[in-house]
Amino acid sequence: MTAIVFAGQSYALADGESVLDALLRAGHAIPHGCRAGVCQACLLQSDEAPPANTQRGLSSAQKSLNYFLSCQCQPPASLSAQAVDQAGQRVSGVVREKSWLNQRVLRLRIEAPLDFKAGQYVTLWQSAQLARSYSLAGSPNPQNLLELHIRHYPDGAFSAWAAEQLKVGDALDIQGPLGQCVYSAPANQALLLIGMGTGLAPLCGIVQDALAQGHSAPIQLIAAARNGADLYYLDELSALAAQHPQLGITWLAQHANQATPPAVAIGDVYTHVKTHFASLKGYQVYLCGAASFVAKMRKQCFLSGAGMADILVDSFVPFATTKT
Amino acid sequence: MSIFEKIGGEAAVNAAVDVFYRNVLMDERISHFFDSIDMASQHQKQKAFMTMAFGGPNHYTGADMRKAHAHMKLTEEHFTAVAENLIAALKELNVAQEHIDEIIAVCLSVKDDVLNVPPAA
Ligand SMILES: Cc1cc2nc3c(=O)[nH]c(=O)nc-3n(C[C@H](O)[C@H](O)[C@H](O)COP(=O)(O)OP(=O)(O)OC[C@H]3O[C@@H](n4cnc5c(N)ncnc54)[C@H](O)[C@@H]3O)c2cc1C
Ligand code: FES
Repeated sequence: MTAIVFAGQSYALADGESVLDALLRAGHAIPHGCRAGVCQACLLQSDEAPPANTQRGLSSAQKSLNYFLSCQCQPPASLSAQAVDQAGQRVSGVVREKSWLNQRVLRLRIEAPLDFKAGQYVTLWQSAQLARSYSLAGSPNPQNLLELHIRHYPDGAFSAWAAEQLKVGDALDIQGPLGQCVYSAPANQALLLIGMGTGLAPLCGIVQDALAQGHSAPIQLIAAARNGADLYYLDELSALAAQHPQLGITWLAQHANQATPPAVAIGDVYTHVKTHFASLKGYQVYLCGAASFVAKMRKQCFLSGAGMADILVDSFVPFATTKT
Repeated sequence: MSIFEKIGGEAAVNAAVDVFYRNVLMDERISHFFDSIDMASQHQKQKAFMTMAFGGPNHYTGADMRKAHAHMKLTEEHFTAVAENLIAALKELNVAQEHIDEIIAVCLSVKDDVLNVPPAA
């Protein structure tokens, strides 16, 4: 039986239990979020080297300090752990702009000194305990503004708070940047980028980055959503495409409704991609949005010939509030 | 020199894993085993397995094989399907027949573990 030694006390781990869950069970208020190894809210530090799988996605500095993701940790032998220096992992940001891109999607612009690559994401802290990850829309800019597109769920712990209570001028803590879904293709490789809902956010930045770096091969962007009215940035992106002949944009909604703009095609995104991209051999593919969409589309694109290493994803895994 | 080195090391394995895994996902006899799993981590596992089958640096043991497949209730037919897909992938990548034979021999050596056949007394 393995155990976790935390703050001088030893706790036995149940079969299959993570260090995070064992410590929560023992009554310790360990901050956490996704429980999927993505948000890094659950960082702890050990005296010994932690298992390699619990350090996936961490910076080399964090690794050398024996930081690890407690939600991913089921140590083969007993492990010691302590809280990390939280302040050292985060920067403070100030909300500079808050507006609605459509009825459901909130746009925040937060000023924060953060060195990121377009397509990465950050973890935002609403309080000492509540964290959620959001993708960065757009590219690094001289104003140090981070742009986020947040879908509003009326019962969402973070998104409802951001929609209803967060004000311009408020400060909040930001952890990151995180993730590998960044522009990394040679200039002559064809790109296919597919975003579902607010999955468009990271793709905006990736497309800008590709264009800024002189990408010459075709760049096909598909912005998909359930309803036509959920789509946004039609004018902005169309203007970009008008300036760059290699960029093509398709707007796609599963269902039409009265507010559906005329540029939007109606159809199923999986069928659309199958029909228009029968072979994806040689493409680099970017998939962003809800985890279920990313998983299904990743499989489809792989079966259509894209190499596994050529499919980059930003998967919005749900933040489970209870143990699954 | 191992087959792993002869056929081109890690780059060759990466190409082989893509072709093999794609074949497996399209094979009705076995594709359902892969319906609800995370593709990226499964791809990693396939790669670890192929590296082992090619005699490259790996950490696979018979016990791992047994544990990983025990809950799946696999039959001879499933094993054959995987082996056929592997051979097809290797042929597609122009791996020489003598190397294919060696690789299949490694696969056969773990067959009892995969099918969870009790070890001979
Ligand atoms: C790497 C990463 C990047 C992300 N980027 C973005 C982004 O750019 N924009 C964005 O809007 N979100 C993004 N997310 C999702 C985000 O982190 C939250 O999960 C989401 O905002 C819901 O949080 P919440 O606290 O509002 O809702 P929660 O309190 O976590 O959930 C409460 C309720 O909200 C509803 N809900 C939450 N998520 C979903 C869903 N996916 N589908 C249907 N109903 C749901 C359900 O009714 C649920 O019961 C990202 C997630 C990850 C992991
Ligand atoms: S990474 Fe552990 S809770 Fe998100």
